[in-house]
Amino acid sequence: MKKLLAVTACPTGIAHTFMAAEALDQAAKAKDVSLKVETRGSVGAENELTEEEILEAHAIILAVDTNVDEDRFEGKNVIRVGVSEAIKDPSGLIDRVLEMEEKSADEYVEQVQNKKKEKGAERQGFYKHLMNGVSFMIPLVVAGGLLIALSFVFGIDAAENEGSLAYYLMETGGAAFSLMVPILAGYIAYSIADKPGLAPGLVGGMLAEQVEAGFLGGIIAGFLAGYVALLIKKYFKVPRNLEGIMPVLVIPFFATLITGLLMFYIINDPVAGIMGGLENWLQSMTGANAFILGLVLGGMMAIDMGGPVNKTAYAFAVGLLASEIYGPMAAVMAAGMTPPLGLWLATVIAKKRFTNEEQEAGKAASVLGISFITEGAIPFAAADPLRVIPSLVAGSAVAGSLAMIFEAALRVPHGGVFVLFIPNAVTNVLLYALAIAIGTVVTALFVVLLKRNSPQAKAAQANE
Amino acid sequence: MQLSEILKNEHVLLDVNVDSRETCIDELTKLMEKTGVVSDSAVYKDAVLKREEEGSTGIGFGVAIPHGKSSGVEEAGLAFARLSDEIDWQSLDGKPVKSVFLIAIPEEKAGNEHLQILSQLSRKLMHEDFRNKLLQATSSDELIAALDE
Repeated sequence: MKKLLAVTACPTGIAHTFMAAEALDQAAKAKDVSLKVETRGSVGAENELTEEEILEAHAIILAVDTNVDEDRFEGKNVIRVGVSEAIKDPSGLIDRVLEMEEKSADEYVEQVQNKKKEKGAERQGFYKHLMNGVSFMIPLVVAGGLLIALSFVFGIDAAENEGSLAYYLMETGGAAFSLMVPILAGYIAYSIADKPGLAPGLVGGMLAEQVEAGFLGGIIAGFLAGYVALLIKKYFKVPRNLEGIMPVLVIPFFATLITGLLMFYIINDPVAGIMGGLENWLQSMTGANAFILGLVLGGMMAIDMGGPVNKTAYAFAVGLLASEIYGPMAAVMAAGMTPPLGLWLATVIAKKRFTNEEQEAGKAASVLGISFITEGAIPFAAADPLRVIPSLVAGSAVAGSLAMIFEAALRVPHGGVFVLFIPNAVTNVLLYALAIAIGTVVTALFVVLLKRNSPQAKAAQANE
Repeated sequence: MQLSEILKNEHVLLDVNVDSRETCIDELTKLMEKTGVVSDSAVYKDAVLKREEEGSTGIGFGVAIPHGKSSGVEEAGLAFARLSDEIDWQSLDGKPVKSVFLIAIPEEKAGNEHLQILSQLSRKLMHEDFRNKLLQATSSDELIAALDE
């Protein structure tokens, strides 16, 4: 069924806004059309439209006599009329928007990407700082991972031959890897305290790297450095005419000093211990444990499709790349690809379960899926969360645990299907592809099993 | 919070005879001035007439809802007139008007609750059975009770 949205607003925002809303509601009810109306009266916006609803909507009716923010409807069918027209002829207005052409799948992909951007902008607090660090670290992981993988092309021991091309590739990749933790820590601190946080953060990260406290040490160093710098900025007062030396001298010196000493005296040993334990456990992990880790990481990737839980699993796997542990990364990427891929497969094998728009969206989801953009599944999940999300979690958990059991290893933190063709970027590449395929099929089967037929298909059946 | 708290008994005129939209607004404004809802009737009326210029508040179905947000208003208020003879209000559907709600909103910090109530009234007006009640009420008490239902 086509979903419609509307916004009503009038100059005083007392009467017409609400009459138009009521008129549209009634007309939609009479036609059995799904319609949600946001009223922007003098009480403020009520019954506000959410991003998800806008994404799913066939069209938006703007019955407004004032300026309303239309940016959020970009890429959608929009019809703009005066508020009185919605009061006079609500039913004609609804007919007009129902006749509008469906927007294409390309625009849909664009919307998903815009959505990702907006989500990034909304992040707050701890999560925002962490993700800032992770996003600056990722290019290093990609470059390092691919260079090391490339050095193996010359034979698995080729890099041991000093002065050979394989050796240089390995060294360059290794340099990129050794910068991962310092950059992670530096840009967490930068996110917290701005420029004065960067130096202490980088140094703290470097110290964590040296004692092999890994990404966990890097995260702690980053937050420590950031908040120490922030506190100094706030509470350390210098005479007015000396204020200029605060950001260039006082904060970097004291923040770095304090961070460094805290790292040595308090943080490094226990965290290096924890990291060592974690690494040993992950490396020696086989059978049931590997299966469970894959299951959990996989499920986390699907449960909120790009939200905090998904990003936590992702950050965990990326962080482990710094410790040269590649299995969880493989599990996480496989599990992040299956939600959109599985939905695409479901739209192909069971057309009746989906509206025409969803079948179109399925094609776009397949492209997003092979590119490891889990967010491609969001519109489907938003439309029918109770049936879709469990299906996605099941498929992703299967893909994640199979990737772990097959001992697939992924040296780069992104790339989707395309990294499978880069030599040595993925170990056990055929089994890995199989894990993704099985996860996709499981997702699709669950979706088909749980979802009901779409209203269109029901109507067609009733006619037979 | 009930509609009856802003539509006071003294604000209701049943089967009153007026010859134009302006006299109708005048009569209803006087009622709200008496109860202290409107402190400066001239300033308030300006706001109401200005709103009418922007577009008629005759919403069709024989109903008009002139309204004004003005510093001449002390507290949110509502007045109602049922006309004995229909008058022209340049309504959206071109038909003359029989029921008139005049709404007064203060310029500053109009209480949210009041605005909520008025928005509910606006929604109710879109329903035919509600409009019929306005036409059938035999006393102001009966009318106010119908609004609160």
